[in-house]
Amino acid sequence: MDQLLQALVSGLLLGGFYAVMVLGFSVIWGVMGVINLAHGEFLMIGAYMAWGLFRLFGMDPFASLVLILPLMFLVGYLLQIVLINRIVERPHLMTLLVTFGVSIALANLFKLQFTSDPRNVAVAYNGSVQLAGVTFPIVKTIIFGAAMLIMVCLHFFLQRTRLGKSIRAAAQNKTAARIVGVDINRVYAITAGICIALTAAAGAMLSPTQAIFPFMGPPFTLKAVTITALGGLGRIPGALMGGMVLGVTEIFVSTYVPGIGTNLGVATSFVLLVLILVVRPQGLMGGLRPLDAEAE
Amino acid sequence: MGTGTPANKSEERAQRKPSLPFLAPVHSLLAGWIGLVLWLLLLLLLALYPYTGVSSVALFVGSQIFVLVTLASNWNLIGGMTGYVDFGHAVFFGIGAYIMGILVTGAPLLISPEWGFWQALPASGVAAALFALLVGLPTLRLKGPYFSIAMLGTLVAMREIARVLRPFTGGGVGLNLPPILNRLGDYYLMLAVMGLVVSLIWWIQRSQFGQSLIAIREDEIGAEMRGINTTLHKIAAFMIAAFFTGIVGGFWAWQNTYIDPDVVFVEARTVEMVMMSMLGGLGTVWGPPLGAVVIYYLQDLLWANLYDRHLLALGVLLVAIVLFMPEGILGTLGDRSSTSLGRLLSRVGRSK
Repeated sequence: MDQLLQALVSGLLLGGFYAVMVLGFSVIWGVMGVINLAHGEFLMIGAYMAWGLFRLFGMDPFASLVLILPLMFLVGYLLQIVLINRIVERPHLMTLLVTFGVSIALANLFKLQFTSDPRNVAVAYNGSVQLAGVTFPIVKTIIFGAAMLIMVCLHFFLQRTRLGKSIRAAAQNKTAARIVGVDINRVYAITAGICIALTAAAGAMLSPTQAIFPFMGPPFTLKAVTITALGGLGRIPGALMGGMVLGVTEIFVSTYVPGIGTNLGVATSFVLLVLILVVRPQGLMGGLRPLDAEAE
Repeated sequence: MGTGTPANKSEERAQRKPSLPFLAPVHSLLAGWIGLVLWLLLLLLLALYPYTGVSSVALFVGSQIFVLVTLASNWNLIGGMTGYVDFGHAVFFGIGAYIMGILVTGAPLLISPEWGFWQALPASGVAAALFALLVGLPTLRLKGPYFSIAMLGTLVAMREIARVLRPFTGGGVGLNLPPILNRLGDYYLMLAVMGLVVSLIWWIQRSQFGQSLIAIREDEIGAEMRGINTTLHKIAAFMIAAFFTGIVGGFWAWQNTYIDPDVVFVEARTVEMVMMSMLGGLGTVWGPPLGAVVIYYLQDLLWANLYDRHLLALGVLLVAIVLFMPEGILGTLGDRSSTSLGRLLSRVGRSK
């Protein structure tokens, strides 16, 4: 019973992180129909930035978000203007190939700069508290709280502000949005900026809990796809739900499969992904964007 | 073409005039028997090449190029002709390499006596083909980007699984194969495999099987309506491509004498295959081999001048090819059959 409760709590905490990790991926896909295969690499960049700031200035990974968010917004904005906006209206395979190329290039760029040695961010509060017989790791609990906060902020941004409304308009109907005067390219660039900043923020928050190395990205990209298939595109509640499902599944596998369970996270999400896509190609909750939307 | 589907922008783009139209008759000749004769002639010359007294380094380079040509042609069968863009094809390479490693070292499975190279090599191919059957049954039902991502997922997942299955694969430590240096044998073996694969692709392209594959690429539902058993065709093409990729993987493990999960299950190898096929011209017989040779020398150049930056350059190169040369060398030179990337792209884009 205790083990079950512990696994559930750990899974939900992990799920909170997954939910914020997937937001950038799922919003980019939902708004512009681009499957960003370099998603994990931006997470990796965020983690490296947190590591660098921690090492140079002793800056706390959560405090360093203040610097990382605007910087990575700029990176995403520029990437979108220079590269992705040129091909966003072309067939999906093209954006897939380009982001694949970007991911290989980024991972190897970081390998050159920082070698492939794993890096750690050792924060002082790396302990855990006991509450009603269940262990809460402090860092993961903070991540969970921050993830919820970010999701609420993003939700209100998308629902209430003018910019958020134009982003949603561009996602729903590009042509109509253009007609009513939304500058699509600018909206896309801002969306990419926000999404990549969020992804990097997730990476920075992750940095105290996991080793950082240049090739850490692809598993996260795969998990992002799985969660998106679980929860639907660009929906914050969907991302939360999908993240929780994946997190709990992963922790259960690692708890109840003896010996090798802890390393099967990636394989679990892969099996989950193929199952969902084969059984329900439109995604578990429906609403995976039909990929021919633009062709019609 | 002319299937009555509403032409979208990319299809119009694909149908634009080739830039060097006077070359078109040359290309259509090459696609037929003359192409095969020239190819066999080239193979003969390559077979005589070691007799000119070349160094063992040249033989090594030769076998490396043959490996790349084989990989590119294999990828082209599923990615270019059938239109299922496989981002995880390196997984079959890895399976082949690991089967070779496990059977030859014998230790992990307590096989005694250990298998020899010649017994293990077909086993690598068969294992890869069986794995393709296993993976292909669910994933080949997925369309467009979903298939690509599912295969990328297969690759990433297999890398983790190879790391976890320590008793069989040696985990992250990897496997050491007995080092046996035989450059001349390697050269002829890969020459034979390459000759076989490219000739097979040439034959497939002319056969009803190949035409069915192309029909699947152009319009899968339409092909099904015409009575083509699409599942069978897709699985068959996938298994053929996986079989030879597995053979190459097994050979590579033997030649390299060391494998671990990060060396064989690596995305960069898939990128190489995709790039070689795209650079040469997707869906053509001679494009991928041409692309492979070009990429090899390009990489050699990058490797010499940029040493450890060559993977970075590879990623940038992929982006550049997609942006500026999506129809490949043959397509740019006016081969009509190779303008298929534009159509392939639009097919993938339109998939339901």
